[in-house]
Amino acid sequence: MNSEYQPKIIGFLCNWCSYAGADMAGTSRMRYEPNIRIIRVPCSGRVDPILLLKCFQQGVDGVLVSGCHPGDCHYNEGNYHARRKFALLRDLLDYLGIGKERLRIEWCSASEGQRFVDKVSNFTKEIAELGPRSGS
Amino acid sequence: MDSELIQQIRYQARDLLESGTVKGVIGYERASDGLTARPFFAYEPAAVERLIFDETCSHNLARYLVDKKNEKMAVVVKPCDSRAINLLLNEEQIKRDMVFVIGVTCPGVVETSWNHKDEELQARCKTCQLVEPPVYDFLANGEAVERPQGEPYLDVQQMETKPITERKAFWSEQFDRCIRCYACRQVCPGCYCPECFVEQLNPLWVGIRIAPKENELWQIMRAFHLAGRCIGCDECERVCPVDIPLSLLNRKLEKEVKELFDFQAGLNPEEQPPLATFKKEEKLGFEE
Repeated sequence: MNSEYQPKIIGFLCNWCSYAGADMAGTSRMRYEPNIRIIRVPCSGRVDPILLLKCFQQGVDGVLVSGCHPGDCHYNEGNYHARRKFALLRDLLDYLGIGKERLRIEWCSASEGQRFVDKVSNFTKEIAELGPRSGS
Repeated sequence: MDSELIQQIRYQARDLLESGTVKGVIGYERASDGLTARPFFAYEPAAVERLIFDETCSHNLARYLVDKKNEKMAVVVKPCDSRAINLLLNEEQIKRDMVFVIGVTCPGVVETSWNHKDEELQARCKTCQLVEPPVYDFLANGEAVERPQGEPYLDVQQMETKPITERKAFWSEQFDRCIRCYACRQVCPGCYCPECFVEQLNPLWVGIRIAPKENELWQIMRAFHLAGRCIGCDECERVCPVDIPLSLLNRKLEKEVKELFDFQAGLNPEEQPPLATFKKEEKLGFEE
């Protein structure tokens, strides 16, 4: 693997839990991989699959969607809908040869700064091992 | 001599038109090559003599109902097509009292092209379990049909077991050929949005440039918008001018929906579609 290669990762974080979790990691001065570019969304249920596909189309190597833990959604059920949607999308991406490893769904609350750091570092490491999306 | 089935369809259609129950009957007539079938709209009782039904009637006529919302129409449907009516009812696109469903017991249909019809049944007919439509007002009964009990997802499973690089190469090759004519969308009973995402200019989801990446985005989103909604009439594949195996994509999602949510589209208009509902306790492979 090329040691110069830096994977490009987009993170869709829900405003109420995961984005605040990332904020918590920041204010606590925790360190995590800088490869992730974060986009704040109102809810993980708002993340349309086309947003993720657009990311992949534009040459992103991995996409993280992170929302509130099931049961904790600010809008009561947004993340339940997201879960069903992404379960199907994950299988479809795998079927098409894009690879389900490149799409990661996580649940992370506002107080879980450390959890957010762990998940992002872990995901970045996995994507770096997979390498760039060749010839896409 | 016309078959018993055709006589029944014509009799029912004439009755509906003469009594004024419906404004028109959507059915099939013989195409001008004298061999295959094409859609036909009968508005006069005399026109019903042109109605036919045989193994060349591949079109899904339920698609026309979306454009005929304000007129009561009768439509001739095969069992697979009638699932589209259930889908449209479930999504409140049509009203049940605005459509009269003439169901037919289907012996299966064959591939056709101009002046030519195959001997063999279409692949989807070989694994079809439906003999009678799940929804009808009148059933035209043909000869008793025996259904071969094939495994419907054999080719999907074969594709799944291929290595990921092979799958990627296969689908790239397929999507590269796409000319984005959107015939697959036009013919689909589930694709009825007044403005499709590919036609939106701001944001421009799918660019106008001729590029495999744009094709891929269109194809994946088309398939995904039909997740849990595709009724498997394979019209998209029939009309595709570059023969992309769209059914191989649609049936993958159909299979996943069946496995994950135990749901099949178009069998019951009252049942909640899988992506409009959820179960709190399900995990679906995501850790908490």
